[in-house]
Amino acid sequence: MKHLKPVLLIVILSSNIFFTGCSPFVDNNEIEEIAPVTFWSINPGAGGKLEISTLGPPLVKEHKRLLSLKVDLLKQGGKDFNLKYYRELKSGQLRMVLINEELAKKGIMPIINTLLTDPDISQRLYLVIVKGNFDEYIKNQVKSQPNLDYFLYRMLRHYEKKKQGEMSIINLHQFKKLLYSPFSDPILPVFKAQQTNFIYHGTAIFKDDYLKGIAHGVDDQIFQLVNNDYYLKFLPIPKYSVVLGNIRSKVHKKMNENDSKLSIRIDVNGRIEEYRGAKDIQNSIELEKFNKEIETYLEKQTLDLFKNLQQLQADPFKIGTLTLGPISKPMSEKEWLKHWKTLKVNVDYNIKIHPLTSVHE
Amino acid sequence: MAPFSLFNKTSDINGFYAMLIVNRLQILYFILILPMYLVHPYMILGIVIIGIFSQINLILFSKWFTSNFSGQGYSAFVQLFGERKFRFFVLFGLIPMLLKIIVLTLNYVEAIHQFIFPSMNMLWLVLAILLISFYVSSKGMENTIHFVVIAFLFSFWVILCFIPFFFPPFASLSDLYPLIPTSWSMNSWKSLLFLWSSFSGPEYLICISPWFKRGQTIFKYLTYGNLVSVVEFLISFISSLLFFGSNYLSKTNYPIVTMARYLQSPIIERIDMILLSLHMFHFVFIISFLILSFYGGIRIVFKRVHKQTTRIGFLACCAVIFTSIAVVNQWFWEPGIKDNLWLSLEIWSSSVTFLLVPALLLAAIKLKGRSLE
Amino acid sequence: MFWKQSDRDKSESHRDKRAVNLQNLKEMLSNMEDAEIIERETNNSEKIIFIYIRTLINQERLNEAIVVPLIQSSYASVCDCITNSKVSILSTLKEAETQLLFGSVLVFNQKQNVWCSVPLKNTTGRSIETSETETILYGAKDSFSEQIETNITLIRRRLPKTELKVEKFTIGTYSETTVMLMYIDGLTNPEFVKIARNELTNINFDLFFDSSQIAAFMEDHHHSIFPQFLQTDRPDVCAYSLVMGKITMLIDNTPFALVAPITFFHLLQSPEDYINRWPVASFLRGLRYISFIISITLIPFYVALTTHHYEMIPLQILYVLVESRSKLPFTPFWEAFLMLIILEIIKEASLRMPTKSSQTLGVIGGIVIGQAAVEAGFASKVLIVLVGISTIAAFLCPNYLLTKANTLIQFIFLIFSSFMGIIGIALGMIGILAHLNGLTSLKQPYFAPVSPFYGRDWLDLFIRGPLIWMKRRPEHLRTLQKWRYRSRR
Repeated sequence: MKHLKPVLLIVILSSNIFFTGCSPFVDNNEIEEIAPVTFWSINPGAGGKLEISTLGPPLVKEHKRLLSLKVDLLKQGGKDFNLKYYRELKSGQLRMVLINEELAKKGIMPIINTLLTDPDISQRLYLVIVKGNFDEYIKNQVKSQPNLDYFLYRMLRHYEKKKQGEMSIINLHQFKKLLYSPFSDPILPVFKAQQTNFIYHGTAIFKDDYLKGIAHGVDDQIFQLVNNDYYLKFLPIPKYSVVLGNIRSKVHKKMNENDSKLSIRIDVNGRIEEYRGAKDIQNSIELEKFNKEIETYLEKQTLDLFKNLQQLQADPFKIGTLTLGPISKPMSEKEWLKHWKTLKVNVDYNIKIHPLTSVHE
Repeated sequence: MAPFSLFNKTSDINGFYAMLIVNRLQILYFILILPMYLVHPYMILGIVIIGIFSQINLILFSKWFTSNFSGQGYSAFVQLFGERKFRFFVLFGLIPMLLKIIVLTLNYVEAIHQFIFPSMNMLWLVLAILLISFYVSSKGMENTIHFVVIAFLFSFWVILCFIPFFFPPFASLSDLYPLIPTSWSMNSWKSLLFLWSSFSGPEYLICISPWFKRGQTIFKYLTYGNLVSVVEFLISFISSLLFFGSNYLSKTNYPIVTMARYLQSPIIERIDMILLSLHMFHFVFIISFLILSFYGGIRIVFKRVHKQTTRIGFLACCAVIFTSIAVVNQWFWEPGIKDNLWLSLEIWSSSVTFLLVPALLLAAIKLKGRSLE
Repeated sequence: MFWKQSDRDKSESHRDKRAVNLQNLKEMLSNMEDAEIIERETNNSEKIIFIYIRTLINQERLNEAIVVPLIQSSYASVCDCITNSKVSILSTLKEAETQLLFGSVLVFNQKQNVWCSVPLKNTTGRSIETSETETILYGAKDSFSEQIETNITLIRRRLPKTELKVEKFTIGTYSETTVMLMYIDGLTNPEFVKIARNELTNINFDLFFDSSQIAAFMEDHHHSIFPQFLQTDRPDVCAYSLVMGKITMLIDNTPFALVAPITFFHLLQSPEDYINRWPVASFLRGLRYISFIISITLIPFYVALTTHHYEMIPLQILYVLVESRSKLPFTPFWEAFLMLIILEIIKEASLRMPTKSSQTLGVIGGIVIGQAAVEAGFASKVLIVLVGISTIAAFLCPNYLLTKANTLIQFIFLIFSSFMGIIGIALGMIGILAHLNGLTSLKQPYFAPVSPFYGRDWLDLFIRGPLIWMKRRPEHLRTLQKWRYRSRR
């Protein structure tokens, strides 16, 4: 009886160990043994394969080179890299995924889903569409700029933090939310990769997970203006040789009673940053006229953009949510898309430019 | 060696603890998965309505606490039901209790497994959590009841982390439309059942009714506890609707944890790991409370109520609990939380106990009162 | 075991019954070099015998206070003759022994044929100095010394009330240590006094040379790393605790008094809290709690992040970490473990070292361990910074015993975190809190205003509320007087 207790204890403990097996961990995450990848660049490879590449070794001040592989599946690439490189590559610090334009046109759902289901990968992963050959650019730049990936990340982060309306930065979660909600379609930023340059190009417009079109130049500016509801740092209008700046904007979207007509009023409140035209904008009457011209121009451009979107059956501005009400039955996604195609759109700009009193001739 | 006493009563506990315990029991696990079952924005109303129903049930329940029986513990039940019948009832009650422990532990461990240690053997986590729960419960019922304050302090404020989701750029009102149900299906009924089972838990207060201060208005505190739970459910559900949108929400596992993953602080990213770990405080408290109740129940079934509690008995209980969890995990558990048989079992059993226990007690008191007249 | 005790008891009781006479006394004092037996004749040519222990009495006053008055007197009895101190008449040998060893002079008057004792205690010892363990900038500077009488004086001066009761206990079979149990009658919960009395009378041990040993015998939980009695050498802290409804025990020959029942939070409160302005005091107190948590979790957190959760580290910091860790030979756990052990060695050495060589220690500790370890590649720079922060943070805690306990908790957490990462730290936290939750001090809950919950006491817990709001005594001490001020009726 006296020995019952220790015996019982040993039995319990040993049965526990028996049940659970010995080693609790099989994963080694010690940071000196792993190489946390910061970005994947995914390109279409020959024969339906994917070509994925990254810069290695990440984070350490060692000689860097471009690692790339041709694989069938994204995660397979993750595994094959380990066979190629002396540290284990881990995806827990993945911050950016750059997807080639061509690939995006064929649909990026499988890629997105893979990223989303991996619990290691943050929801704040930036998704970027690349026009051109990113790998080529990396190869050219890695010598002169070893921490290229880091600076790229910092840039995306900077423009995401305070939405100044320069770039449309979208992360994984936002993309997914836009994708799944029936009344909106996702967008992504597009960057153009050249030999020595990597520049923001515009906004990619998706229909479901297929890339349908890219808004760039003035279209992208208008896109930013409508989408980014409150502030825009610069709005260049090259046609009139003018740059508007520090713009506070307000977009009023309204659907009429039977959801057949959409009217958008955009209040823009800013100042002229630069002007190179022939008009005498010191003169208030001239300025008023100029103002009107810009308004008509922007109205036309915006209408064109909307027409395009309607044609593509894409709704990145979440216009569909306007049909919702607290007690009305919502439309189905199909119904809405049909509706969207034929929706009448009316755009009205209301520009207020600060008088330029501080400048004297 | 000092005698090992678990169920000693040295001082009364007041209604404040009842409030915390009710709240924590109701919130517990379901807060992690609740939104993915409710999905539709009109379930906001559902939360409120079921909250009111739960409140009505608590009114019935508080009748028990104001009756003369509640303070006497075991002897009161024997008086009400007769010893044999009461032991039978207890035996019956042990099943949902064990089920609750098993399902909650496995589900929580699965969440940890999914978000923090994908490569870890789940049984190690079960073992670690159970060991710490055994330790907490080995301090005795009174200390465990007091532990609720610590559990509350460490886990309550987590809900406040979701407040940022109520503001732009996340929030748009359209995500909450429509507020009135426009269609009704079997699934909606299921959601309501799930809500009802989320509000269950206060019925376990009968296990500690002898500890409460006599002649106190426990009802007031039960109401507060219930109210706090309703508010917490509302915050978590509305914020997840705003974050995901109804459609995406239905496709997400552990929406609350996923939302927490989106949060960032300048020093540490992936707040979810910290929040999920903090949730363990809450969790360990409930498990230790249930373990003690389970042990108490076993003692009643085996007619050991009037004897001193023993270490062996307690350890044996712990071993039984661990073994049953291990067995379920090894052979009967299917990963994933949607359409999980065990979760549905737990939902049904907790709904039934929450519905029946107060009613049964009240009926017994009424019957006894009539027979005495 | 049982027979030994009874044997000793027998000889004691035997001595108790023996009569006081010169022969017995001589027998008792045989082989004691410092015991003196002196015979004199008075002016009336009566024989007077003085017996005393030279080292225990005040020899300078022996002549003027006892010998001269007795020899020259014409009074009838010793009691009449010596008026300025308490003279008692001895009846048993045991009494005589006790008196002798407490510094009394035994006087035998032949005429009356009685043995009397006259206290003439030698009070050599330290003077009242400033506290070194609990230094504060403002506030009273005096601290207890080794003389119990002086210590009582220091408290009595602060609480000139007859309700302040002092009960005397003598414990320790060889040390015969005097313990004074102090409490305020009609204020302190009588339950505390009862428990303390009970515990004190039940102590059975040979020698006590510090109050912590007495605390160890009175504690409810012997194996806990948390001190369950507050040791303080500040009379103001004692007085404050007494008025708040706690009991205080003064122990002879040690400058540290014991205060009980305390809670865990008392260990993180400083007397200075009540001197600073309340927002400042609250901030400082908050800082102390935070640094306590930092000191036990920072290094484990580092280990958890670097071994398990690399994805939690922001990219900017990860760059620094990977860079500094990439060439180290040890895993984060061993790195941290070794650095902490080395640090403990330095800390312990700096305590034991003579002050003159402590400068060398600073140089070795700072340069060799810090800089060279990084340069040699034994430890990462980040870790050195963190170790430094956590060590300094540990010293913010005003209670030295808790500072020491800190280190142990840190090591436990370190093992947990290297094993299970963040979950491990959470498990450790739950364990520690459950342990604290189950602890008691003088049978009163140790984690008191939090669990069990006393809402009103929170005013003086994590913050130090304004004094004008703290009109009630702490609820968890269940004092007999609830209010701190007297109503003007």
